[in-house]
Amino acid sequence: MTTIQTAVPKRHRSFGSITARKKTFWLTTMMLPGAVWLLLIRYLPMFGIVIAFKNYHAFRPNTFWNNIVRSEWVGLKNFEFLKSPDTGIMIRNTLGYNILWILLGLVISVAFAIMMSELSTRFLAKSYQTMMFFPYFLSWVVASYFVLAFLDPTSGMIPFMQKAAGQKVTNFYHDTTWWPLILTICNLWKNLGYSSVLYLAAITGIDTTQYEAAAVDGATKWQQIWHVTLPGIRPMIVILLIMNVGKIFNADFGLFYNVPQNSGSLYPVTQVVDTYVYRAYANTHNLGMSSAAGFLQSAIGLICIIGANTLVRRIDPESSLF
Amino acid sequence: MKKNLLSIILAVIAVIAIVFCFVFNGQKGDLEQKVKDLESQIETLKADAAKVAEDAAKAAEDAAKAAEEAAKAAEEEAARKAEEEAAKAAQELPTITIMFHGSNVSDDSAVLAKVNEYIADKVGAKLEVIWGTWGDFDEKAVNALTSVDKDVDIVFTCSWSADEYNSYAKKGYFLKLDDLIEQYGADLKAAIPESLMQAATIDGAEGKGIYAVNGFKDTATQNTWDVNVTLLNELGYTVDDLKAKGFFGWDEIFAKAKEVKGDSFYPFLVEPMVAERMVTNSIIVAGDAGSTNLLSLYLNPEDVSADGAYGNKLLNKFATDEYKAFANQMHKYYDAGYIDPALSVAETSNDARTNHQKDASYLIGTQSYAFGYEYSADVLARGAEIQFVPCTDPYVDTTASQGAMMAINSASEHPEEAFKFLALLNSDPVLMTLMNYGVEGIHYTLNDDGLVVFNADARATYSPWTNGVGNVTILPDTADEGKGFRESFKAYYAGAKGIPSLGFVFDNTPVENEMAALGNVAAQYALALDCGAVDPETELPAFLSALDAAGMQAYLDEANAQLEAYLAK
Amino acid sequence: MTVINRSVQKKMKAGSFTLNRFGTGTQAAFHVLLALFSLMCIIPFIFVIIIAFSSEESIRQVGYSFTPVSWSTQAFTYTFRLGDALWRSYFNSFLITIVGTVLSVSLTVLYAYPLFRRDYRYRGFFNFLSFFTMIFGGGLVPTFVICKSVLGLSDNYAALIVPMLFSPFNVIIMRTFLQTTVPTELIEAATIDGSGEYSTLVRIVLPVVKPGIATIALLVSLAYWNEWFLSLLYLNKNMDIMPLQYLLMRMQRNADFLAKNSSMLGVDAAKAAAQLPSQSLKMALVVFIVIPIACAYPFFQRYVIAGLTIGSVKG
Repeated sequence: MTTIQTAVPKRHRSFGSITARKKTFWLTTMMLPGAVWLLLIRYLPMFGIVIAFKNYHAFRPNTFWNNIVRSEWVGLKNFEFLKSPDTGIMIRNTLGYNILWILLGLVISVAFAIMMSELSTRFLAKSYQTMMFFPYFLSWVVASYFVLAFLDPTSGMIPFMQKAAGQKVTNFYHDTTWWPLILTICNLWKNLGYSSVLYLAAITGIDTTQYEAAAVDGATKWQQIWHVTLPGIRPMIVILLIMNVGKIFNADFGLFYNVPQNSGSLYPVTQVVDTYVYRAYANTHNLGMSSAAGFLQSAIGLICIIGANTLVRRIDPESSLF
Repeated sequence: MKKNLLSIILAVIAVIAIVFCFVFNGQKGDLEQKVKDLESQIETLKADAAKVAEDAAKAAEDAAKAAEEAAKAAEEEAARKAEEEAAKAAQELPTITIMFHGSNVSDDSAVLAKVNEYIADKVGAKLEVIWGTWGDFDEKAVNALTSVDKDVDIVFTCSWSADEYNSYAKKGYFLKLDDLIEQYGADLKAAIPESLMQAATIDGAEGKGIYAVNGFKDTATQNTWDVNVTLLNELGYTVDDLKAKGFFGWDEIFAKAKEVKGDSFYPFLVEPMVAERMVTNSIIVAGDAGSTNLLSLYLNPEDVSADGAYGNKLLNKFATDEYKAFANQMHKYYDAGYIDPALSVAETSNDARTNHQKDASYLIGTQSYAFGYEYSADVLARGAEIQFVPCTDPYVDTTASQGAMMAINSASEHPEEAFKFLALLNSDPVLMTLMNYGVEGIHYTLNDDGLVVFNADARATYSPWTNGVGNVTILPDTADEGKGFRESFKAYYAGAKGIPSLGFVFDNTPVENEMAALGNVAAQYALALDCGAVDPETELPAFLSALDAAGMQAYLDEANAQLEAYLAK
Repeated sequence: MTVINRSVQKKMKAGSFTLNRFGTGTQAAFHVLLALFSLMCIIPFIFVIIIAFSSEESIRQVGYSFTPVSWSTQAFTYTFRLGDALWRSYFNSFLITIVGTVLSVSLTVLYAYPLFRRDYRYRGFFNFLSFFTMIFGGGLVPTFVICKSVLGLSDNYAALIVPMLFSPFNVIIMRTFLQTTVPTELIEAATIDGSGEYSTLVRIVLPVVKPGIATIALLVSLAYWNEWFLSLLYLNKNMDIMPLQYLLMRMQRNADFLAKNSSMLGVDAAKAAAQLPSQSLKMALVVFIVIPIACAYPFFQRYVIAGLTIGSVKG
């Protein structure tokens, strides 16, 4: 904390009245519990980032600090997993799916939120919301059984129906054709309910006098949505967008690993950075490599977020993240 | 904007400060001075290096390092001794913690009470147990070792778990036990065969030596066809017919089975990777990529201790003619509907296999055999007569001979007690029985023949994985197994011959990145090919070129160079 | 207080207005779309319940089907054999979820509120302090070292609560909620009235931002309920405090492992593997995990998410 107090520009102090100082003091006490948690649980372990650049192993005496300090520096050797011929595929998949889903998710969930807020039957609106949120409760492992129940080559519903109809049975877990679609559906299925609730909550927070004013001016409902609702939830849209952009190099591991049942034949369309690193780690147990991968994802995320945020701040400083 | 920039800079400075605080924890002097010192040291070193010949410099460095380490070790030893004495003076026994694999234990209080009473004098410590379960052990053990959790003194390790014995010993996580064995291990040496001690002797972080106590269990491998004899006879065939026709000639039998049992019956129940090894007579190379093996060493099926068709050479498993023939045949069987498609998908494969086994809904399966299957009521409770038809004689390879071991965490604060406990556990029938079967009168009783009869309810709350605890040959026979089981067990495994390259472990660290890439490529293709789900005509060439692109040749060369060096020794 | 009353009154009055709405046709289209998607969301779950009660025999004959030929409760009897352990883990899960949610929401609101205040001096710094950790982390092993050996999080409830106590993501969501729902004038007015910072937060801001708090609470409690990895990491000897999710995950992972490695493990393990009813067991486990949430959700719906619509005039 001392760093902050000394480092904050002194000029502010000159016009800080007693009330202002008091305010700052009390507000700071509010931050403290969270800040302490962050320092202990998030910042203290950050020394571990150096493992990404070291060949970590045990020394005598075997203590964690000693091992980290004495392990030799290996420069970027831990990042060499990127030299694999699979690199192109996994980067394409990671970025491709993420971009597609960010856009689709944004459009559809905002649309759903607006629809729900406009429904006249309260009971039904609530029921939809309840049901749509349901998948968000479930882990991907669980969701993968749902998918399996439909697609399982031996007992799944679709292959069984195909068999009954005398058609050739599709072995979904060896056929890449359908998977971009299946994964997209799974992703939307799981996350739409959640993000539309976020947007819905933001919509309900919009000051209603704005709608009244618009109505008085003779705006139709569509116009109201365009001129009142959307601007009203813009901060939420922008924030979620920036945060998603920051995760653009990270993939939802369970979706890409559990849902396709880890089927090798599907790697061309399901291999993403996270699954690749996981599989590589399972073979090598090299702590340095997994740290390096994590570091790389973080670094790219940071660049993307700062980029997106700078862009947003140019257009709409109010909505920017920082 | 300025304010934000400032806070970014501040945060970065804070992080760096924290990092430094920890990395240079407890070291005196200011950092600048340190950096300068280091720089000057580097300068002098450089100068030295220029002057002195390279070899000499290295030798000197090594010697200095050794001296430093020796000094440190001595210091440590002294500190520990002092601490120990203090503890003894306080009449307080240290606690040692052991982490097991694969247990199913929910109540260990009765057992631990007895154990602690029994070992108080003999070991001079109290025991605590972390009952790792099948699914969790790998994560728990790796985490405990890499995060240097000194609360874990003894940990299970082997050739197939995530805390793989050879690599973790090499990375310094396990304590070298030779001195301790010299000092306290007389009983242990008597109880464990010399060959197992040999199998545990490797090049670890502290030089060649033993880094784990090797449990005496099923130490040989024998792959067998698991045949549903009831159904086979019903179809009008005998086991001899199967043997005569061989893997490549079972079409007729499978077709018959399909005809009799209906279209949703799948006669051929393979564990695809095991089937591949059985048909091509290849074995697992210790140290190869774990999830999907890439390397093959070929056995001589007539005499496992003689060289195989390719001699002592490691090959790309998927590039051989044997593999091609196997994959083609599997594809034929798969296309004809003899193999359950669920077996060809990584995550559903094992479930499907277990389910078919349970109700004997198969004709021929694969089984990596362990002595005692015939005696195990549970394995055979499939509602059909089962026979295991071996492909070769049992053989001892590195993987099997390092199948269940106990290592001491090099961060342990009580290595002596930990070792004494391990030695006692593996040589003392009382302690072994207690740990493995529980307390007499609670978890089991002895019948008139002196055989162990389990009390099902109590046993359900306390069933460790028998082989994972240690030397199973000093256990009493159970009523299930019958009298004399341990004797025949020992005889069976004593009769198993070693393969020519027994003891060789591939150290994959020089080609780690290749292995990571290759492992991913193999996971993409191998299972589907092994199971016959895809056409080898198109997929196999694609697979091989993907392997080449991922550096298969470099991987292979490294492995063969190491094998040659090993055999030359 | 007067300020609040006025704004509430305004909203009440607005509620009695009938604002123009979409026509019946458009409304019907909305209903169809939403209803279809909602059905899609719950049908798989109904399907899984049916499968969990299907007999293995039926699965072999007609596959996974909405209309199995015979029923069975075998998978459930297997799970119920856990007895006490099952109910104890239920209790643990509830305890951890409730305590964790209360603490976490408090921490989040306390941290987000000053960030929302434009007149707070260290806003930028704390904002970044939290945001930075969303991107960078020390990784699993170093975090474990700190939590276990420095903070003593091991084999206790704290170990299952503290590591997830705070989420920068939730802070940002909360801050955004505050920005969209709390007018700055409200706080200025309160300050002029001489209200202290804490009292402004509790008495004036919190009631207005209820929807946001409800949303955060829901997210946090779900995260706690579904968490099992922390238990795997931090529980070694004291298994009495194991939460439900971990108990079930452990069974699942054991079944997976045994099936995968049975060839390596000898007779003993093959025995254990042979005893697992894996196919419908999986589905039964799903039911066990989901039913409590499904039961708790109406609770959220009625008492907490109700906040979502409190400030709304629509509907």
